[in-house]
Amino acid sequence: MIRLVGLTKTYPEGSYALRDVHLEVGRGEFVFVTGSSGAGKTTLLRLLLRQETPTRGQIFLDGQDLAALPRSRVSAHRRSIGVVFQDFKLIRRKHALDNVAYVLNVQGVSRAEQRRRAYLALKGVGLHHRLGLTPAALSAGEQQRVAIARAVVTEPALLLADEPTGNLDPDLAVEIMRLFREINARGTTVLVATHDRDLVRRMQRRTVVLEHGQLVDAGVSS
Amino acid sequence: MGRLRYFVSDAADEWRHSPGVNVVATATLASALFVAGLMTLVLSNVHARIVQVRSDAPVDVFLEDGVSEAARADLERRLAAIPGVGEVRHVGKDEALRRFRESFGGVADLVTDLEANPLPASLEVMLAPRTDGAEVASRIRRDLEREDGVEEIRYDQAWLDRVDALLSLARVGGAGVALLVFAAVAFVMASVLRLAVYARRDEIEIMLLVGATPAFVRGPFLVAGLFHGLVASVVSVALVEVARRAALGWGSSHPAAILGLVAGRPLDGGLVAVVVGTGLAVGLVGAFLAVRGIRA
Repeated sequence: MIRLVGLTKTYPEGSYALRDVHLEVGRGEFVFVTGSSGAGKTTLLRLLLRQETPTRGQIFLDGQDLAALPRSRVSAHRRSIGVVFQDFKLIRRKHALDNVAYVLNVQGVSRAEQRRRAYLALKGVGLHHRLGLTPAALSAGEQQRVAIARAVVTEPALLLADEPTGNLDPDLAVEIMRLFREINARGTTVLVATHDRDLVRRMQRRTVVLEHGQLVDAGVSS
Repeated sequence: MGRLRYFVSDAADEWRHSPGVNVVATATLASALFVAGLMTLVLSNVHARIVQVRSDAPVDVFLEDGVSEAARADLERRLAAIPGVGEVRHVGKDEALRRFRESFGGVADLVTDLEANPLPASLEVMLAPRTDGAEVASRIRRDLEREDGVEEIRYDQAWLDRVDALLSLARVGGAGVALLVFAAVAFVMASVLRLAVYARRDEIEIMLLVGATPAFVRGPFLVAGLFHGLVASVVSVALVEVARRAALGWGSSHPAAILGLVAGRPLDGGLVAVVVGTGLAVGLVGAFLAVRGIRA
């Protein structure tokens, strides 16, 4: 599903964020990308989300070279991916239901269908009783579950998560990982960037290790 | 339709959550449109006054004595068909005499001492407001001077030239000022709305990251711009009328004849529509300039 060929990303001052990375991730896999801060995990996710383009090499998603993706198709590409961020990135003035429904709204789904599917997604993360609250009225764990509901409500083939447990205590982190495992069990490919090695060990999934932008361990596909 | 409904509801939702920046944007636009409305009021009043002055100096087509009713009617018809001719009035010999007596009371006896009324009948031609008066008058002379029944055609060429020059100045000046005001207001509006966009930059980033197209993100801002324009223009038109009445009220107790010249008539329906249309256009253009930088 994902194929990186000699992927390299440098920044203007010349430092490498990623350096000649070769990697393949199959459909339906659950993969952790680990490494210390600055290893290149977030850059990899930004490249997959087409927030950035590679300096060299190629990055394929379902055979499509993302570097060659025209600007006019970037939004459609992002709509095909679910994404979860460390800082949740919820729209503050919208309540939980509308935050989840927003991605369906973007796709042109009818208002009634948006609400029905957003409700089911929130129910899937155990937050349907909090759907009328804005992010400010939700705990950090609840906000992250809303973000996960938003990421999966369109039933994407790929879910990206960038340090999704970075702002949560250990018990909540385990709870979030349980949700990711359930999503993966339904066939969604899940790619989680995290520096939490304890969590990665407990989950026992394929783990890709980056150090200073270079791939030092591609892990073993399950 | 569903998308437009979302743009409207999201713009309204944003108003509720950030009233401050929206009130500032509307007030800024209303202030600028108020100034533009006052200028429109003054220019329209001055223009109307000049048109009125020109109609006080008609083109006179003097008729020969004994011209038949049919010939006179034919001349009237031909005059009315000339582009730029507003109204054609028949002034009979008796009416001409009455006017002479009114104008020259002291020497009126000179005429009454004669056995017959020596003053000729005439066709008084009023020029339409938006025409080149000197050109129309010259065409009337060219077309009708040699016709049977026409004794003489008379008008004040120099006066018409001066009035036409003033009218052109009022129109060109008005258009130039309107263009400058439009550009300045659109720039100010864009700056204020850019603040609104900046205040929502995190939200915009989130929307783009989850797959919203730039057009989808821009939509509510454009609707909000239109709404700012509508509210601001309606408020400014009301304020112009309040200011006009206040000025006339003050002028009634002070010797300020110029107030009647520049504010005697309110903005008519057409000019109100122009101000509201300008408000909508400025709101939309300002919003567009503010959000054009939003890209995936």
